[in-house]
Amino acid sequence: MTIDFLDIRFDMIWNYKELFIRGIWVTLGLTVIGYLGGIILGLFLGMGKLSKRKWIYYPCKYYVDFFRGTPLLVQILLIHLAVIPSIFGHSLGYFVSGATALLLNCGAYNAEIIRAGIQSIEKGQTEAARSLGMPSGVAMKNIILPQAFRRMVPPLGNELIALLKDSSLVTVIAANDLLYAGKVVAGAYSRFWEPYITVAILYLMLTFVFTKVIAYVEKRFSNSYVPSQRRRIFTFGRS
Amino acid sequence: MIKIEGLHKSFGQLEVLKGIDYEVKEKEIICVIGPSGSGKSTFLRCINLLEDITDGAVFINGLKVNDSGTNINEIRKDVGMVFQQFNLFPHMNVLNNITISPRKIRKMNPKEAEQLAVELLEKVGLADKAKSFPEQLSGGQMQRVAIARALAMQPKIMLFDEPTSALDPEMVKEVLDVMKQLAFEGMTMVVVTHEMGFAKEMGDRVLFMDEGKLVEEGTPDAIFNNSTNERTKAFLSMVL
Repeated sequence: MTIDFLDIRFDMIWNYKELFIRGIWVTLGLTVIGYLGGIILGLFLGMGKLSKRKWIYYPCKYYVDFFRGTPLLVQILLIHLAVIPSIFGHSLGYFVSGATALLLNCGAYNAEIIRAGIQSIEKGQTEAARSLGMPSGVAMKNIILPQAFRRMVPPLGNELIALLKDSSLVTVIAANDLLYAGKVVAGAYSRFWEPYITVAILYLMLTFVFTKVIAYVEKRFSNSYVPSQRRRIFTFGRS
Repeated sequence: MIKIEGLHKSFGQLEVLKGIDYEVKEKEIICVIGPSGSGKSTFLRCINLLEDITDGAVFINGLKVNDSGTNINEIRKDVGMVFQQFNLFPHMNVLNNITISPRKIRKMNPKEAEQLAVELLEKVGLADKAKSFPEQLSGGQMQRVAIARALAMQPKIMLFDEPTSALDPEMVKEVLDVMKQLAFEGMTMVVVTHEMGFAKEMGDRVLFMDEGKLVEEGTPDAIFNNSTNERTKAFLSMVL
């Protein structure tokens, strides 16, 4: 097999540029909805997994076990072809199915991150809060979560990047995400280098931007709690 | 004011408290001494139910603490606690550390709570540290803030769990001075401590604990100078 680099035809990508642009928006939309929903879901699941009440603990545990223990691809197909049609009687479209699957999956992973973050806060913090008369919910919201959140930022950032890439799996239900745009072009021209390299580069650009945002948030929330001593993120000129 | 009846506490197989009976009267300063592992801290932590009580009962102002019908949060409002490791909230400045519980639990308005905090900071000698964060304070300063934080709930009883054990020697005095001031103001206090000087000087009653039991109880003079109990004498000869 020979690869003729002189024969690269990016004009065909250009012809389909609307499809790629739309793909970027769909991918971003799925990722952001799945991630934000996954954080809220993960917060409840993570706290549920810390509950001493068995009827709260076990459903949360089994949920997390199921969604972490089965392939996301299978979950997407199951939700799109089986769960949603049997609840609503018909499909709600690829976007709803895709976003739902990503959200439910991301929630399970975030649950573990959030649970670990909460558990990492010294027991003395809870004891001090409780000794002041705070009910456990008040202590969790005001004392534990604000501290735990800082420790969750790096792993939650990884989860965002992972989700962005995993969102490409929705292509299987014909969602017109970024990967789907590549597939369409590949199918139309029977050429594979240009469309998939383009897709890869576009994903890389997206993860690059997300990585920068995460790095910003990480620095913002790392180091000292003292505002004046927080590390400067951007320094212009001499400091 | 605090009544303890047949208090037992086990961690799994390990029995830490083996039946303790005691009654603390209003405005009394009770100092609990004893070797490490004797159950003094557990004893203290059972009073405000930071540890579940295995058997027996603790009553505070006639209310049974370990009763499912008792709202423990209501009782804890009246029982302040100071920890060995300070346990200040690191994400809040000193002022917020002190005002959070009056605001959230006593529903005090923020202005009032702030005024109370400023008064308490003056009392513990840290009026200039209101805007500082815990990480900017020394150990002694942190512990004084922790005392102010507990006092902000206007408790009737204060529990001290080895409040000076984690401090550098030169910072012990500033914390003890604040505690003495509290004692003079008539606060009911239960103090688990290794500071024998404080127990001698300030204690109304001294409790000597060993191996989960209350070995001896009496005035500081009776315990420190006139004890006839072999175990007490052996312990005191080691620490004095």
